[in-house]
Amino acid sequence: MSQEIIDIVQNYLTPNIPITLVSQGAEAVVFTTHVHPYLPQDSNKTGETKYIIKYRPHKKYRHPVIDQQLTKKRTLGESRLLAKLYQIDGLKVPKLIACDQYNGCIWLEFLGSQLPDNNGFSNLKHFLWWNKADPYNNVVKESLLKVGQQIGILHWNDYVHGDLTSSNIVMVQDKLGVNVWNPHLIDFGLGGVSNMVEDKGVDLYVLERAIISTHSAFSDQYVEWIMQGFSQVYEQHGATGEKKLKELLKRFHEVRMRGRKRTMIG
Amino acid sequence: MVDLNTISPKNGRNYYIALGLEGSANKLGIGIVKHPIKSQLSSGDNSHQCDAQILSNIRDTYITPPGEGFLPRDTARHHRNWCVRLIKKALKEAGFNDPSNDIDVICFTKGPGMGAPLHSVAIIARTCSLLWDIPLVGVNHCIGHIEMGREITKAENPVVLYVSGGNTQVIAYSENRYRIFGETLDVAIGNCLDRFARTLKIPNHPSPGYNIEQLALKCQNKDKLIELPYTVKGMDLSMSGILAYIDSLAKDLFRGNKQNKLLFDKKTGKQKVTIEDLCYSLQENLFAMLIEITERAMAHVNSSTVLIVGGVGCNVRLQEMMAVMCHDRANGKVFATDDRFCIDNGAMIAQAGLLQFRMGDIVKDLKETIVTQKFRTDEVFVSWREK
Repeated sequence: MSQEIIDIVQNYLTPNIPITLVSQGAEAVVFTTHVHPYLPQDSNKTGETKYIIKYRPHKKYRHPVIDQQLTKKRTLGESRLLAKLYQIDGLKVPKLIACDQYNGCIWLEFLGSQLPDNNGFSNLKHFLWWNKADPYNNVVKESLLKVGQQIGILHWNDYVHGDLTSSNIVMVQDKLGVNVWNPHLIDFGLGGVSNMVEDKGVDLYVLERAIISTHSAFSDQYVEWIMQGFSQVYEQHGATGEKKLKELLKRFHEVRMRGRKRTMIG
Repeated sequence: MVDLNTISPKNGRNYYIALGLEGSANKLGIGIVKHPIKSQLSSGDNSHQCDAQILSNIRDTYITPPGEGFLPRDTARHHRNWCVRLIKKALKEAGFNDPSNDIDVICFTKGPGMGAPLHSVAIIARTCSLLWDIPLVGVNHCIGHIEMGREITKAENPVVLYVSGGNTQVIAYSENRYRIFGETLDVAIGNCLDRFARTLKIPNHPSPGYNIEQLALKCQNKDKLIELPYTVKGMDLSMSGILAYIDSLAKDLFRGNKQNKLLFDKKTGKQKVTIEDLCYSLQENLFAMLIEITERAMAHVNSSTVLIVGGVGCNVRLQEMMAVMCHDRANGKVFATDDRFCIDNGAMIAQAGLLQFRMGDIVKDLKETIVTQKFRTDEVFVSWREK
């Protein structure tokens, strides 16, 4: 990890807020901290509750004009979106705590845990790898159906994610020791409001491709379960839902055909 | 277990010789590659360390006048006209007098590419094969680029950014396939640059992209950027909209359309933007998008090295930006090659074909030598690498 970026963030947050680096994603660096940005500290609880700080560092490779525009647009966009999504019934996203769009910094609620036996953080990617030995068990099936439902709820409410991959879905354990996992969608940096079938179709296509590339051996079944969960949400809404679903799936297949240099038969 | 030494070379030699024929676009490339037998290649994932020697690697490019692209028919004719001369020259350079004894395998591009040029090169390959009685191997063009890049730079398992006139893909290896993580949804980056060069009517020699790069270097006000659409869609990108937009700006500039307030000052009518500025902005915008999706793929597969291949990979600005990104990401490293191996060439087809040959994957019947315009990178089973 680049120490330079950590120093910049630590400098910005002042030493009063100790941070631990969690991951360096493509466009943001994620830290955890035990300090809440504005609530008074409860001395009994310190060390228990964790918060996420998501920082978008300045990207030196791109032109400063492009960089500033993108950082501000994406930080603010993500915060606004999260605030809206948090109000939707049934949808599970992290809670937004604070946002500083000029410095590209947002505070979020901490989600997820470590998977048993050193299997890494509980995102969908690690979760599926963790279940590799028995890839089609019921827990996996239930979880993937729920993943599909989450995306279904998102799309039904005319929101899109923009970067659905298996690392952007966090599995949260229902209760400690119980093998039930609730998927939460994270990282809405490329998300937005859209009622266009096109955007939703692309969303599903991106997810399908991510699943195929990281879990290739079992991807067919995985995608099928996700789509099953997705369809359930739309089917709940009667005839309008069915109609919209049909339209969406049609576009999804069209988007899939659009990739370049695909062998086409017939 | 990967064993690259199961098939022995002709006449009990201790090395393999492959002749590579490439002609999927406007370049006809002939390359001869030599692989010595190496005991390290009997096991393990060492296919990037074959100690390949390039005995010859020559290329002839079909160059069209400014403002024109290359048409399949004319390009195929160019390839047919030059192939015999180039093959003779390549054999002479490598010092071979008796091809049927000297060469182990002939490799040709099976696809993807333009139909007519591919076809004429396949015919050349068939002819040589029958003439000299040498087995044939059909190679995927993209795999050729990747394997040549790996061999030259010794990058073991990098994320590959493949950028050329016909392709824009971010690729990572997993379980015997080079999998595509992100790609363009419409036109390729090289195509986008070439078409813009056509609008500007700048020369196609040595290549349109190179001339745009040189123009961009001359840009006077680099701190002011012309705003262009930034169209990253998850791991994919789309470039046709950017091209249409910047094309319309260039046309307005040539026509002197004073109504366009981006290009001309409303009051004085003075020109605010030059061709150089347009080139600079286009490059900055397109490359920023490319680097972003590459970084996304790197984060996704947890890799810290990138290999840039393909014609656009020669662009120094792109390599520079990639190096900055990799430096900021965990001691990352960029591997890039120069124009000899970045731009389509015969040696890369020979390299990938020889790997295939050493794994026993040869054409059994001439019926299998058909070419295809659509041939995805992830369709090829990569037998020469470990899972």
